[in-house]
Amino acid sequence: MATQIVMDRTGDTRHTFDVHDRAEVEKAERRFMELTGAGFTAAVRTGPGEQRVIRSFDPTAEETLFYPRLVGG
Amino acid sequence: MTQQIVLAICSFVLALLGTVLLSALSLAVARSGSCSKSFRFETEARALTLLKDWLSPKQRASYERFRYFDVVGSHTGTRYRIHHGTQTNIEEISGTGQHVCKWCFVPDGDLVAGDVMLAQKIALETNERGALAVAHRSFVSSGPRRF
Repeated sequence: MATQIVMDRTGDTRHTFDVHDRAEVEKAERRFMELTGAGFTAAVRTGPGEQRVIRSFDPTAEETLFYPRLVGG
Repeated sequence: MTQQIVLAICSFVLALLGTVLLSALSLAVARSGSCSKSFRFETEARALTLLKDWLSPKQRASYERFRYFDVVGSHTGTRYRIHHGTQTNIEEISGTGQHVCKWCFVPDGDLVAGDVMLAQKIALETNERGALAVAHRSFVSSGPRRF
């Protein structure tokens, strides 16, 4: 199982999908495209405290975190 | 005489009804405030759990002890200290450990501190220039913190 974590006003919303289920993977990919298209940044963990930003959907990523576009505070 | 008694009873009943309605309204408002407070608390707790999951052991230990953690900028190697908070909570630290300035950038939307700090960490560690390009910089002296 893989998880997409989307930061929002509730803290975060989690979408879990079975990486072996084609329909679920396609749905997760659509969500990825929608979120990144809306300005969210997607990041995956690569080690303790380490991460990399991804520009395209990675179905093998166990956990993908999305945070909204950054703005000056 | 009878008319006066009926009027008195009606006034009493109306006053009683008014009191009951007001009490019910106060109770509803109090409960609503309590729910909202509880919701905010749960949101903040969930965001802090997520943040700690993504911090390195060293960053997590620092955050738990001091309510801040350090990150290294991906392009310049500059050290930034992210304090608990949601605005003007990033401090640039010089090579000698001195305060240089403050930076402020946040993820769009009304997010709680844990989420804001995690987005700031990822942004500085993976795309420092991009993050600072949208950030506001301030040189206010570091007096008592109000994060």
